[in-house]
Amino acid sequence: MGEGLLSVIQRLRGSPGQELRIVLLGLDNAGKTTLLKRLASEEVTTITPTQGFNIKSVHSHGFKLNVWDIGGQRSVRPYWRKYLGSTDLLIYVIDSADQKRFEETGQELAELTEDESLTGVPLLVFANKQDLVTAAPAAEIAEGLSLHTYRDREWQIQACSALSGEGVQDGMNWISSQIMSRKK
Amino acid sequence: MFNLMANCCNWLKRWQEPGVMGDESPEDVAPTVGFSKIDLKQGRFEVTIFDLGGGKRIRNIWRNYYAESYGVIFVVDSSDIERMEETKQAMTEVLNSPKISGKPVLVLANKQDREGALSEADVIESLSLEKLVNEHKCLCQIEPCSAVMGCGKKIDKSIKKGLYWLLHIIAKDFDALNERIQRDTTEQKAYEEQKKRERAERVRRIREERYSLCNF
Ligand SMILES: Nc1nc2c(ncn2[C@@H]2O[C@H](COP(=O)(O)OP(=O)(O)OP(=O)(O)O)[C@@H](O)[C@H]2O)c(=O)[nH]1
Ligand SMILES: Nc1nc2c(ncn2[C@@H]2O[C@H](COP(=O)(O)OP(=O)(O)OP(=O)(O)O)[C@@H](O)[C@H]2O)c(=O)[nH]1
Ligand SMILES: [Mg+2]
Ligand SMILES: [Mg+2]
Repeated sequence: MGEGLLSVIQRLRGSPGQELRIVLLGLDNAGKTTLLKRLASEEVTTITPTQGFNIKSVHSHGFKLNVWDIGGQRSVRPYWRKYLGSTDLLIYVIDSADQKRFEETGQELAELTEDESLTGVPLLVFANKQDLVTAAPAAEIAEGLSLHTYRDREWQIQACSALSGEGVQDGMNWISSQIMSRKK
Repeated sequence: MFNLMANCCNWLKRWQEPGVMGDESPEDVAPTVGFSKIDLKQGRFEVTIFDLGGGKRIRNIWRNYYAESYGVIFVVDSSDIERMEETKQAMTEVLNSPKISGKPVLVLANKQDREGALSEADVIESLSLEKLVNEHKCLCQIEPCSAVMGCGKKIDKSIKKGLYWLLHIIAKDFDALNERIQRDTTEQKAYEEQKKRERAERVRRIREERYSLCNF
């Protein structure tokens, strides 16, 4: 089985001509761009804060997967919503070691998911930077974000390190099972 | 593993979506570290089943769903004898909760297809099930089953039987149960709303402070 985005596509083959859109969001410094590079199997070297957005497209088996990585700085957050139309899946990235900002990131997520275009869209939370000793465990983050109040969509929290790659593939497996069950 | 309100991609999805599994092997389910739900129509009943992750690290979220649950389906891996004690403890904790005590509990003694799986009677014994449900006044039924056998209409009969039992018990005492659930849910919603407002206020202040610093 392949890695990252390609592995999602490989599982979905047999339904060519489809295009899927995944949006990657989270506060600045959460690790979105690092994660995106990891998913696209690119070597992770120096990464600068994202101004505007990055898009990665992966094409295979007549299938196209677009991942949008939108910068997390406070000044661009009001624009997040603009890019949400026809999102199939939302990935929300958290810096698990930045406990001071759990409330803020929880609030951003809550405000974001109130958007109509995200109603019912499955949510994968990557509890990133688990390689740091100060990282909070996934269950604690789930509580911090009040994920249990999200009743209108399926959600999953995946502990990972975008830097080492650990846990990233497990998250992708969840994504492909979500997309698969929605495809019918 | 075991869960509140149910494991499992396996039997739930198979029930609902025969054929969708396609070439995906039933061994191929990702552990749930979160929440999913499935709506079923079963005769005159419209049922929503919450599928909550059973892993140690996510088990803490269960309690958030007690208030609005009419019953519990506890799925036990009957072949994992070493973890029966852990299962017993987890189940005790669930039934101990005042939001669950007195509600009906279906125990699915799953993975009966595996060699060495504990029988129904052995599962009852290892979990001290009788004592446990009596203490908490929970009506209880146990069904030995296998979630990987059969799909859709051909799903393991015991699972169906168990679910019928649960639904009928709930229906029998619906008014009283429903009243309790409405009350508990309203209370919890109010609490959650209040927490939400408080957080919004705290975050608003943090943002303001930062903004005024930037303009300093
Ligand atoms: N230790 C550790 N550091 C990480 C991990 N993922 C990302 N980082 C670091 O965190 C910093 C921010 O990562 P980015 O990928 O730029 O974060 P971003 O979410 O794209 O940030 P913006 O573009 O500003 O919104 C970088 O220094 C990364 O090297 C991780 O898993 N572990
Ligand atoms: N042999 C056998 N394997 C089963 C049976 N039911 C589930 N499994 C396997 O047991 C493993 C765990 O199944 P899941 O459905 O993920 O269990 P779960 O309770 O949802 O686990 P969490 O999501 O971690 O809470 C998978 O590999 C399944 O294929 C069964 O009846 N017999
Ligand atoms: Mg970035
Ligand atoms: Mg599961």
